[in-house]
Amino acid sequence: MMRESRTGRLPMALSALAALVLAVVPLPHAIGALRPDFLVLVVLYWSIAAPRAGGLTLAFLGGLALDVVNGVVLGQHALALTLIAGWATHLRLRIRVFSLTSQCLTVFALLTAYQFILFWIDGATGNAVTNVARWLAPLVGAVIWPPLSGLLDRLHRR
Amino acid sequence: MVAFRSSDSSARTSGLLLRTVLYALLALALIIVDKRYDHLGRIRRALSLAAYPVEVAVASPFQGWAWLRDSVTTREALRAQNARLETALRDAQFRLQRFDALEAENRRLRGLRDATVGAGRRFLVADLMNVDLDAFRERALLDKGARDGVHVGQAVLDATGVFGQITRVGELTSEIILITDPAHAIPVQINRNGLRTIALGTGDPGRLKLPYLPTSADVIAGDLLVTSGLGGSFPPGYPVGVVTEVRRDPAQSLADVEVRPTAAIDRSRELLIVWVDPPVPAKPQANAAAHPPAPGPAGSAAPPASAASSPPASAAAPPPASAAKAASAAAPDDVE
Repeated sequence: MMRESRTGRLPMALSALAALVLAVVPLPHAIGALRPDFLVLVVLYWSIAAPRAGGLTLAFLGGLALDVVNGVVLGQHALALTLIAGWATHLRLRIRVFSLTSQCLTVFALLTAYQFILFWIDGATGNAVTNVARWLAPLVGAVIWPPLSGLLDRLHRR
Repeated sequence: MVAFRSSDSSARTSGLLLRTVLYALLALALIIVDKRYDHLGRIRRALSLAAYPVEVAVASPFQGWAWLRDSVTTREALRAQNARLETALRDAQFRLQRFDALEAENRRLRGLRDATVGAGRRFLVADLMNVDLDAFRERALLDKGARDGVHVGQAVLDATGVFGQITRVGELTSEIILITDPAHAIPVQINRNGLRTIALGTGDPGRLKLPYLPTSADVIAGDLLVTSGLGGSFPPGYPVGVVTEVRRDPAQSLADVEVRPTAAIDRSRELLIVWVDPPVPAKPQANAAAHPPAPGPAGSAAPPASAASSPPASAAAPPPASAAKAASAAAPDDVE
């Protein structure tokens, strides 16, 4: 479903910007915890589908933008996103031939690892969030992976 | 390393590990520098300027919708609103009649007792921006920043009570921590009997708790909590919340007290940023002769108030590093 090609940077930047906007769009308080990490999903997609277009740089800069927008310690999301993007790039040949279910499971694992890094940095910098609900976001992210990657595939091919 | 090579034939990805590690180290360095040293304030301010378009893009559809709804209200609705506002204004003026005289009297009495405390005098109206910062922390963004003279540690109120305080200032925006954030603590006092304690946030926008009151403390449901002014961040005497429930378990030494904030934490859009006056230096008296003459820095000139206020401030806010930073950052500004 995905193919590797020399992609222009424009679709990458645009999708990352859209994900950044989605990351701060106000949601009702009750379902705020269910918001998936859109930017991580977008970075994962580009790391898997077009690793030569600079997914790592996108991950680092996008993570920095998330830090600023979310008002947390500078570098937190950047670190987590970079590590996850590196891991996804490493696994990309395998992920591409996975069935959709296995892809979702892999994405779930990656998103959970991402949350865990954030959780760890939260604790290390003294603002631990020990809310069980924070582990819901990877689940929602894995569920929306098929439609989101389909959407980005279209953007990619254009 | 071996796994990396074997999984991929492309020559470019052999540098993948290296680049990942480089970026990760860079991010780690940023975290440490940002956490340990405060050199990144200016960089952060510039970055917040870059994030401003995103924030405005997110917030503007909601503002547009609100504007549209306002501009198509019917005449009847406007009349009804007008009548309601006139009633509210009349009530407020009734209550205000005696306020000036009472405040003057209060100041005079406090002056006599050598215990002048800072009062919130100057306000700036700010709008809450419609942006979600973090699902698990009660933070929000205001549309006023360093350009408007906002500084870290200022109290933020809404029309009915204390809302939060400013934790970070950007060029055009500033970030606030709400009093309901689990990492926030505010020094309060029970209006009925003056009992002082600390109210902690819970992460739920409609609930605060008072975890440090002994079972024998004189607190009942319906008590109004007001800011005590200790710590110097919040001006004294503003309503914080109303006690909704007191649970006393005889086996425990501390009571379990629930408080509902008076501010409309999840509804208010228009907020007030407050500048707290520095405590007025008291007139030197006979027993104050040991102190240096009054014109020194305000901290030493007003011994009773500020000396009493600083220890509770550090005791009040151990969890949030930002709040502790806020308190220390607020001090120099208060002196000016």
